[in-house]
Amino acid sequence: MGDRGVDFVAAARRKRGGRARRGFRQGAPAARRIRWRRRFRALAIGMLVLGFGLGFVAARTTLQLDRIVRHRFEGRLFRVASQVLSAPTILYPGLDWKQVDLRGTLLRLGYRQSSRADPLPVGRFYWEGRRVRLHRRAFEHPSRAEPSRDITMWLDGNVIGALRDAQTGRELGAVFLEPELVGAYYGPHHEQRDLVKVDDVPPYLIEAVLAVEDQRFLSHRGIDLRRIFGAFVANLRAGSITQGGSTLTQQLVKNFFLTPERSYKRKAQEALMALLVEAHYDKRAILEAYLNEIYLGQRGSTAIHGVGEAAKFYFGKDVRRLSLAESALIAAVIQSPNGLSPHREPERARKRRDLVLRLMKEQGRIDEVAYEEAVAEPLRVARIVPEPQEARYFLDALRRQLPDFYGTDTLTTEGLRIYSTLDLRLQRAATVAVREALARLEKQSKSLRPHGSERLQACLVALRPQTGEVLALVGGRDYAQSQFNRCTQAHRPAGSVFKPFVYIAGLEATQGPPVITLASELDDEPLEVATRAGPWRPRNFDRVFHGEVSVRTALEHSYNVATARLGQRVGIQRVVDVAHRLGIESPLPEVPSLAIGAADISPLELARAYATIANGGIRPRIRTFEDVVDPRGGTVERQPIRFKRVLDAGTAFLATSLLEGVVDRGTARAIRGAGIRGPVAGKTGTSDDLRDAWFAGFTPELVVVVWVGFDAPRSLGMASSGVAVPLWIRFMRAVTGGHVRGAFLRPGDVARVDIQPGTGALALAGCPERRPEYFLRGTEPEQTCPKWGGRSRGPRGGIEGWLEDLFGGGDER
Amino acid sequence: MNTRVVRWVVQGILLLGLAAAGCATFGPPGDSFSIAAEAQYGDPARRASTRLLLRGLKADESWHFREAVVLYERALQVDPTNPWAYLCRARFEVAQGDPERALDYLDKVEALLPSEPGAAGARAHLAGLRGTALAILGYTSRAEPLLAAAKRGAPRKWADGQLDASELQ
Repeated sequence: MGDRGVDFVAAARRKRGGRARRGFRQGAPAARRIRWRRRFRALAIGMLVLGFGLGFVAARTTLQLDRIVRHRFEGRLFRVASQVLSAPTILYPGLDWKQVDLRGTLLRLGYRQSSRADPLPVGRFYWEGRRVRLHRRAFEHPSRAEPSRDITMWLDGNVIGALRDAQTGRELGAVFLEPELVGAYYGPHHEQRDLVKVDDVPPYLIEAVLAVEDQRFLSHRGIDLRRIFGAFVANLRAGSITQGGSTLTQQLVKNFFLTPERSYKRKAQEALMALLVEAHYDKRAILEAYLNEIYLGQRGSTAIHGVGEAAKFYFGKDVRRLSLAESALIAAVIQSPNGLSPHREPERARKRRDLVLRLMKEQGRIDEVAYEEAVAEPLRVARIVPEPQEARYFLDALRRQLPDFYGTDTLTTEGLRIYSTLDLRLQRAATVAVREALARLEKQSKSLRPHGSERLQACLVALRPQTGEVLALVGGRDYAQSQFNRCTQAHRPAGSVFKPFVYIAGLEATQGPPVITLASELDDEPLEVATRAGPWRPRNFDRVFHGEVSVRTALEHSYNVATARLGQRVGIQRVVDVAHRLGIESPLPEVPSLAIGAADISPLELARAYATIANGGIRPRIRTFEDVVDPRGGTVERQPIRFKRVLDAGTAFLATSLLEGVVDRGTARAIRGAGIRGPVAGKTGTSDDLRDAWFAGFTPELVVVVWVGFDAPRSLGMASSGVAVPLWIRFMRAVTGGHVRGAFLRPGDVARVDIQPGTGALALAGCPERRPEYFLRGTEPEQTCPKWGGRSRGPRGGIEGWLEDLFGGGDER
Repeated sequence: MNTRVVRWVVQGILLLGLAAAGCATFGPPGDSFSIAAEAQYGDPARRASTRLLLRGLKADESWHFREAVVLYERALQVDPTNPWAYLCRARFEVAQGDPERALDYLDKVEALLPSEPGAAGARAHLAGLRGTALAILGYTSRAEPLLAAAKRGAPRKWADGQLDASELQ
């Protein structure tokens, strides 16, 4: 059996064959040694190659990761969205505090109402009956930093009766509130952060973060083996992953460079990169990066990153002013900003805060007294102020006004602060007015209800005529549905809102006397004008010819035929010239029908042209921002106020007077019917087939243009007075309360004399009927009523006329 | 005797005081015009706006030009029809060597001036600033009569041929 077995083995060996086997069988020790040596050599070479390969891969990976780390740290570390801020609210004695929504403004600015007036910390206000005390925060401004200020306001009915410094009792003329956030130009991740320097972060906050997130941060080299081991044991005991072993550096690396995926490869990369970060940069730089990077909450669709933004979001204050308890709360939410949100989960947040405070005490970072005081502090957080959405169209318009240098990349990463001209109170009123007016129109008229996906649209733009500042701009009914800005991008047939340019061309004395005065009569009889496209026969809206009508009547009732005839008299070229001078930039066709608005223009350029009239013939440049400031506080761009006289003040005043008539007696008289008092002028406009409804109206301080229509033009079924005017009224009532301030000033070269209605003759003593009218000096009527009366100083002759000549008029209307 | 001398001295002082007060009251209107005085007039918005101008002039005087411009603009925000805001800005532009822009602002003052109580006092400064702007632009013949009118209307303030921020306060 044994032999047989041996033989079997030998046979098997033979079968496998090979010289070595045969050699072994030969049993020579030298051969064995050689064989072992060969084996060792092969193994060594293999190991060497493997080692070299692994080393190469490791070195390459390390170098790659190192490049990534350094590129990020030495380049732009954070993307910071540029913020757009409103014009500041200015409080002064006599201001209607209800009109400016004082309480709402304070709450939106993140001020918290306090139950005690004394002491009143910064960022709080106390409101008791007629007395309001406000501890305004310090804030940055392009011109200078405004320090914090403790003020007391005494309310007297609807107005601020007195404004005093609460500390000194000194009376104050005016106090600025910090500008409100209008919006921001976000990058793809929709992050908001306010970058802070580590020196500006209160030590409590740093201690709190280190206590709960990485207590050996100052001693480890990027990874903390003790912590990893501790976490490993804890997870083993728990049977699942309950603890992480990541240091702050690892967390930073993970947020900066890696995905949230949980794998060994990612973990190894994280550790390696953490070591590299620690090798290159000091602890302060790493800590600063961490404090600015860390995700800390959510405001709507905007992610709150960094302790600077979190301090504002949770407490409405600057990070430098955080208390110990507030610092602990910020450190507490790092673990789970949404699950531990003090707004949504106050109890969980408080428990976690107390845990942070306990850890701080246990680690000797705070003493017992501080701990007890902080734990006893109730959880108080600022109201979440949703980011305003109503100014999205304005943000787009502003971006287009910025020089090309400020592209999307710059605006979404550089953290610029853009001080805009927007008045958020007006902007909100405009948004509400557009929304409500459109809803009401759709309810009123079946033809205005949505057809498929197409809905009735509107736009509203409000300017300050003296400075051209855009105070409110709503480019459509819903930005989320359509970003097309109907105020700035749409060019629609102007209709009758264009007519004032024809009358201005007629009233303006350029070379020789003007073609018309306000006492002139116009012929509203059938008219036929030969054009290249055949004869053009304008018709009135009411399909009636009105015969001889006064200039006022023709414009107040928007008679097409009379205006077209005036256009022919002054010449279309001159009408084009006037429109362009006043601010219309779109090309205008030199055709007879231009006189009645056959031109496509944008609401914004129309607003500018009307602003020129309101501004006494001085054309302002459109201005959407004042300053662009970089994160270091340096002004990098400024848009100064610019204007230019393009029309004499007298003609501008005559045009204003005509347009006041439209509001007082004409197609826009619904404005007076709605109870809006004071100086208001404007013009309605309806394009062919009732497709576009316009109203351009102004007061001495505000120009507001409204357009209503469908994007794909179709009939609205009614004229502007029933569509655009109600929207205008809704807005103006909201912003003025129905009482318009100021007056349209009559310049010295305009005389006010009585004329006989119907004939336009100068009404002297004995004239049976008369009404006052305005004329450029030297253009008063020659004809008198009664006819035998001598030409004198007119009804204001004698001492009255002499005084007027001496002092240059000066009455207000 | 002594009593009589004292009486004469006192009477003399009183007379001199009265004369000084009379000069101040009935002196050239341009010299008595001040933004501080105008801050007493108008509705609340006008008064607040004019007070902001005073702050602007102070900043202007102490060479904080950027702050001055912002305060002038804030004054316009509160009351865009305040002629003194344009007057202050026109003075600023002349001082900064931008005569064309100054003339634009002066146009605006002219348009708003008729209804103002302080118009008579401001006209001398208007003439002076316009004259200075025109002189910078090289229109000497047009500038001279205006500057002369300024010196007539406000001999003290225009004695050196220019209007400082402090002289408008």
